[in-house]
Amino acid sequence: MSSLQFALELIFTGLCVGAVYSLIAHGFNITFWTTKVVNFGHGPFIMFCSMIVLSFLMKGLPWIVSIPIGFAIIVIIGLILERVSVRPLLKYPTSMGWIVSTLGVGLFLQALASKIWGAQALAFPPFIFEATDYVSIFGIRLSAQYLLVLVMALVIMMLMEMVMNKTIWGKAMKAVAHDPNFARVMGIKSKIVITLSFMISAFLAGVAGILIAPIYGTITPEFGMNIMVLGFVAAVLGGIGSSKGALFGGLLLGVIEKLVGGYISTSAEHGVAFLILIIILALKPDGFFGVKVVQKV
Amino acid sequence: MKKFSVLVLGIILLFVTACSNSAISTSKNTKSNPDDGSNKETETIKIGMTSAVTGPYSEYGEGNKRGVELAIEKWNENGGINGKKIEVEILDDQLVPDKAANNIQQLLADPEIVAIIGPAGSGPGLATVPITEAKGMVHMNIVPQTIEVTYPNGTDQAPRKNVFSFALQNDVEANVLGEFAGEHWEKVGLLHESTAYGKSGMDLIANILEKDFNKKPVAREEYNQGVSDMTSQLSKIKNAGAEVVVVVGLGADLANIKKGMDRLGLDVPLVATNGALSLPYLEGAGDLVLGTIGSMIGALGKDPLSPEAQEFADAYKEKYGVDRYWGNDENNPQLFMSLNVANAYDGANVLFEALKNAESTKSEDIIKALESIQDFKGVNATYSFSETKHHAISEEALDLFEYVKEGDKIKLAPYKK
Repeated sequence: MSSLQFALELIFTGLCVGAVYSLIAHGFNITFWTTKVVNFGHGPFIMFCSMIVLSFLMKGLPWIVSIPIGFAIIVIIGLILERVSVRPLLKYPTSMGWIVSTLGVGLFLQALASKIWGAQALAFPPFIFEATDYVSIFGIRLSAQYLLVLVMALVIMMLMEMVMNKTIWGKAMKAVAHDPNFARVMGIKSKIVITLSFMISAFLAGVAGILIAPIYGTITPEFGMNIMVLGFVAAVLGGIGSSKGALFGGLLLGVIEKLVGGYISTSAEHGVAFLILIIILALKPDGFFGVKVVQKV
Repeated sequence: MKKFSVLVLGIILLFVTACSNSAISTSKNTKSNPDDGSNKETETIKIGMTSAVTGPYSEYGEGNKRGVELAIEKWNENGGINGKKIEVEILDDQLVPDKAANNIQQLLADPEIVAIIGPAGSGPGLATVPITEAKGMVHMNIVPQTIEVTYPNGTDQAPRKNVFSFALQNDVEANVLGEFAGEHWEKVGLLHESTAYGKSGMDLIANILEKDFNKKPVAREEYNQGVSDMTSQLSKIKNAGAEVVVVVGLGADLANIKKGMDRLGLDVPLVATNGALSLPYLEGAGDLVLGTIGSMIGALGKDPLSPEAQEFADAYKEKYGVDRYWGNDENNPQLFMSLNVANAYDGANVLFEALKNAESTKSEDIIKALESIQDFKGVNATYSFSETKHHAISEEALDLFEYVKEGDKIKLAPYKK
């Protein structure tokens, strides 16, 4: 294998792995737009939805039935999360209580999953592609499932950009984000917009879950929490609240990880994300695509 | 409102504290007279146990619990130890070292407890042995593979007086894998998880390759447990021209390694520690497992099973049926049971045998009786201990197994070159 091919292999794989982070970062963005809340329950949502889908699959139901049930349940949980752990806190705009409350819901889901399905790894069957399916690009074999995630991350980014910039919903979301009370005065049902944003975010967690779980092959109650952290780093790197940023941040993080693994040391590969987080928070806290928010008090 | 919140918080805290150290006391005491309990001490023999009964590693804790309970049932049905029924108190540590240490303190505070069956996992193992050692309490080490649990200064030095190990020690597994790789391949690629288990195990293997075969591994890479992609590690190993990949790791990660090898076209054999024989590997990698070679205690792979293994298998099947621990094959228990159920069963049986022979519940007497155990036939091995040898599983008990296809089914068969 030539050194160029090795480098390309690392970069392409990095893009694929990064797509997973992007997909998660997109989920963070939606709730951030409407409430400035980062839902730290997002990771366990990913896990919980894939667990529900898996349990219906194991009961012999086909994908086409299991997936809608899983999505319906996770969307309802998203609604509950908003009602229970976010809405009561929005009364205090300066409160950071949502960090604890959303994380709390996440930990609760994690514990609930251990109770229902046990704490051990459960095998997740292949979805759409087999685990061994690959696509050859410039002689480099890329996992088809990873590419599917990459395509999905791109599609979601484009959809979001479109919704935010071209539709009345996007404008409503922006208005709510800017000032929920004023938006209400203008006739926008702020509460419904906020609730919907959490439900859409939960839906995205579900999409991420069933696409990512087959890559890991097995899922445990901790599954979502681990990747959520990396998704969060991706969101911060790209600029939280920006769809382009989510995509770019995720892909960049993936590529950096793989390059560090390939050229420096594989033991440094996983720690590098946190180094990036520290650096970006210190030097460019708004990320690459984030907009500097000036708040009048 | 504020008072109300404080009250609710108080109640929650109380609830959490009450739940956090739930003891699972499995009293095997027969329906003894509910008298004042004054002669209870003479009626029962009580042992204590802490293990990962719940949590992500409950496969070991729950398995160990079942093993110990099966042994207790067997002994109690036959009249107990010198007429005394056996009782066990099991605490849950979820494989968290601090919790395990607390549990041990709690168990040691009970004057009725005469011996401890130790936790699963090297972390909790290392956290608890100093406590039992300081008290001189007999400590049966079941799962932790790290040598230091039993031999703090290496296997050529004296073991801890109170610790007797039924675990598959790191050095034993490394010897078998290192010798095997050294004998069969010139260019060996090494890959291990970044835990103490992975690092220390791989150090031992690399050492054997260098010392016994004068071979330097062409690549040595590591990964974090639970990571989804190992392209950089595997690409480097492939670039180095490895003819075999030797892995120290757990089943779920091995599945990802194998999938990555397949995708990258790294078409060389995969040789791995006992995780290769676990269900998560088979479930995660599917057909790709074919050809993978793993090391494991061979007892449950024998055909026919030894009388002791057969007795254990029958007892397990009768009580629990064909479940996750038993494995997919209805007629034969899976090999992995040697590492999560049979090891605890053996440990408990040997302990009870020693208690019987000692005719005493004093720690020194039990230790003496344990050290005099010779050729005691268990499920995993035939056990002999001495003052200098406190571990039971040696290289002879280990075999190499390979996944082969038989008709439509994937099976594990003893490795044949």
